[in-house]
Amino acid sequence: MSRLTAMVPRTLGRPLSAIGGLLLLIAALLPWATFVLNEGAYPEKSTLQFFDAPFELTGFRWHLLLFGVAALVVTFVPLPSKGRVLRAVGWGGLAISLVNAVFITSEGGGIGAITAADGNFAFGSIVGFIGGLALIFGSAGIGLAEIPRLPDLPRVVEYLVLLVAFAATLWLVSETLTAGGSAGVSSPYAGAVFLAFLGMAGGLLGALHGVGVTGWISQMSERHRAFSVIVLLVCAAALPFTSAGTQYWMNVAGTVGIYAATAIGLNIVVGLAGLLDLGYVAFMGIGAFVSANLSGAAAAKLGITLPFPVAAVIAAVIVGVFGVIVGSPTLRVRGDYLAIVTLAFGEIFTRSAQNNVGDLTGGANAIPSIPPIAVGGLQFNEPIDLFGTKLPSGVMYYFLITLLVALVMAVFANLKNSRIGRAWIAIREDEDVARAMGIKTGKMKILAFLTGSMLAGLAGAVFAHKLGTASYDAFTFLQSVTLLAAVILGGMGSIPGAVMGAALLFVLPEKLREFEDYRLLLFGLALILIMRFRPQGLVPDRLRRAEFAGETPDGKPIEEVEEQAVLEHEHELESSKGSKA
Amino acid sequence: MTETVLEASGVTMIFGGLTALNDVTMTLGEGRIVGLIGPNGAGKTTFFNCLTGLYTPTRGSVRLRGAELPSDPAKVTVAGIARTFQNVRLFPNMSVLENVLVGRHIQMKQGPVASLLHGPGFRRSERAARARSRELLEFVGLTGDESTAARNLPYGDQRRLEIARALATEPAVLLLDEPTAGMNPQETEAARQLIFRIRDTGVSVVVIEHDTKFIFSLCDSVSVLVQGEVLVEGPPETVRDDPRVIEAYLGKPREEVEAEVAEAATTVMPRYSDTQAGDPKTEVIDRYREDQP
Repeated sequence: MSRLTAMVPRTLGRPLSAIGGLLLLIAALLPWATFVLNEGAYPEKSTLQFFDAPFELTGFRWHLLLFGVAALVVTFVPLPSKGRVLRAVGWGGLAISLVNAVFITSEGGGIGAITAADGNFAFGSIVGFIGGLALIFGSAGIGLAEIPRLPDLPRVVEYLVLLVAFAATLWLVSETLTAGGSAGVSSPYAGAVFLAFLGMAGGLLGALHGVGVTGWISQMSERHRAFSVIVLLVCAAALPFTSAGTQYWMNVAGTVGIYAATAIGLNIVVGLAGLLDLGYVAFMGIGAFVSANLSGAAAAKLGITLPFPVAAVIAAVIVGVFGVIVGSPTLRVRGDYLAIVTLAFGEIFTRSAQNNVGDLTGGANAIPSIPPIAVGGLQFNEPIDLFGTKLPSGVMYYFLITLLVALVMAVFANLKNSRIGRAWIAIREDEDVARAMGIKTGKMKILAFLTGSMLAGLAGAVFAHKLGTASYDAFTFLQSVTLLAAVILGGMGSIPGAVMGAALLFVLPEKLREFEDYRLLLFGLALILIMRFRPQGLVPDRLRRAEFAGETPDGKPIEEVEEQAVLEHEHELESSKGSKA
Repeated sequence: MTETVLEASGVTMIFGGLTALNDVTMTLGEGRIVGLIGPNGAGKTTFFNCLTGLYTPTRGSVRLRGAELPSDPAKVTVAGIARTFQNVRLFPNMSVLENVLVGRHIQMKQGPVASLLHGPGFRRSERAARARSRELLEFVGLTGDESTAARNLPYGDQRRLEIARALATEPAVLLLDEPTAGMNPQETEAARQLIFRIRDTGVSVVVIEHDTKFIFSLCDSVSVLVQGEVLVEGPPETVRDDPRVIEAYLGKPREEVEAEVAEAATTVMPRYSDTQAGDPKTEVIDRYREDQP
């Protein structure tokens, strides 16, 4: 970014930004596709339609319009960090335009679909793209000032701000989930609409970050931790009451939750203790099979029926034993070798389950028809009435999984801020020195494996009941790698990161059904891009963010700080010479 | 004579066919500072590693307060020996405070269950650990932001943080491996004062150094290690003036070199470098003499 800043002269900053904003605005008004696409008219009246009724406009053109207006306003008002805001808005606009341009082009069968064809023209995406670029360059000219620190407020006001912020987050989550609808015949453009929405959300969050709002809110929530946790739980529990409260989305949200819980567990092993585990999903699988066998399913070999909580605890304990067994080689092998050991373990599990070891896994037939969790006569897969609202089936699982995620988060956070968590991080940073500090590294590493595997086992137990089947092919190497990607993508050692990574990695395939053939390709491409441009992860741990971004924790560039230190040092040397002479 | 805290007797370390240490004996009295000097490759760091449990001596023994040292760095630390490293080795991505808190590890008793539940006992021990860590940070003179990542500290502060981290284990003996390497004169002086203050708190100190001026002005007793053997041991004044030390550590005295050169000049054509003024070896000796207080 600094290179870009050097490239664009200061005087060009404002004009470029203004032009960019204007272009985004115009792009929103222009048509986007020159003819009706094969699968029907492109959503949000984008085919052949000029801007007509401002308040009927929804979707990406509406977002683009708002972005354009916002960019224009920000360019001309005095705002200390306007460069950052404009840059975020620019990238957002660019992403929205690019996603739609690529999609319409490929769907329409050529570049004519987004330029001119059949006597029609539709330059929306191109104008939007140029507008985004202009904004990015303009922001480089204006320069990226330090993010301002917003003031502390009286307690009650801060509570209110937090409430609003979390409610907004809830809205954003529900909108993101439902953006484009469920992919399939009913909405053939789900993938594109969803991606464009992500572009908007990214731009919006980036702009808020640039103004200092996100940092402000995270500081506030740190100050009022208990309050934030409660509000966050309430918000999570309120998701079924929003537009995402359908059976389909509750299902998706539940699955994402389970993977998020597992990812946080994996984060203990990989993110905190620094032990690369490539077979982690096996623990989840063992948990699923144990609880399936204890659930009274007809196909289970053990004819034991235990209440779910008991079965879940037993599953966690058994998985914990496996965790210790797999963890024990960590005493002797490090780094790459450990990765291979865990990879082998994962494969052993999958193949054993596939071959129905001891008749416990059902082999290729899996263990079907696992009864749903029932508490006091309430079947978890039934729709329920709550506060006069009829909630779809799957909601109970969603609530249960929300609690599970909260539990796993609490375990992670508490351990991280304890003697044990610090020992783990010390081992990750420098194992020899950790030993020299008196840390029994072997014991600590096994403890990391034990904790991580038990959490995965718990998640697996819930997973089996929610799905109704326990099948080996839900726990393959691909899932392990995806979980690992979720941890790294979200930011190692960070809880919100793991949740966000899991959400992204398990919602995206759901949304990109339309691109079935290219799904993995796109997925891989997105991963590469994110790792290239944001190696610290989407929501990194505070100190880790500093490590990758070349910034100190308070956001100053390291180069600057170091230069300052060198200058001071030299100054000291000078003065010491002076005093000697 | 004070009570002996650390006693290495007849420590011999053989790697394959190489004898890195041969019959090295050293005693450290309670509240004393002992220095260890010697040219590169003399076996100083090997000896250090024997003291910290990284190596088990082939022969001989190391005793801390009469008890044989275990051959495991973690257990040695528990027994009461803490160390710093020649190249600063902090936990770079942990904060300043967290680094010291890791040092508190063996002083804390939180088990897994307590760490999960964060009960009142846990919070009490956590508070105490933080208080002690801040105290140590202040003691070594680190008063800046404790939430900075350790890797972002200036070099001298990193050295100090490493000492604070070692002190956090509440050791009886502190081993410092070249604590002033790469420091300017002011920082070196500050380090000297810091080591004196550490000694005053009752911790005995062993220092490895190259800076002879530093070591002679700091230590109660100095051992000179040459090719794996103790050449001389004694109070700094004696060691400093011992001709064997000067020869082994710095080369022969100027007169002898000059005599040799003169002798050589009469027999064969002298090489260019031998006759030049400002011969590196004699210059080192000059500087060494000037350095002495």
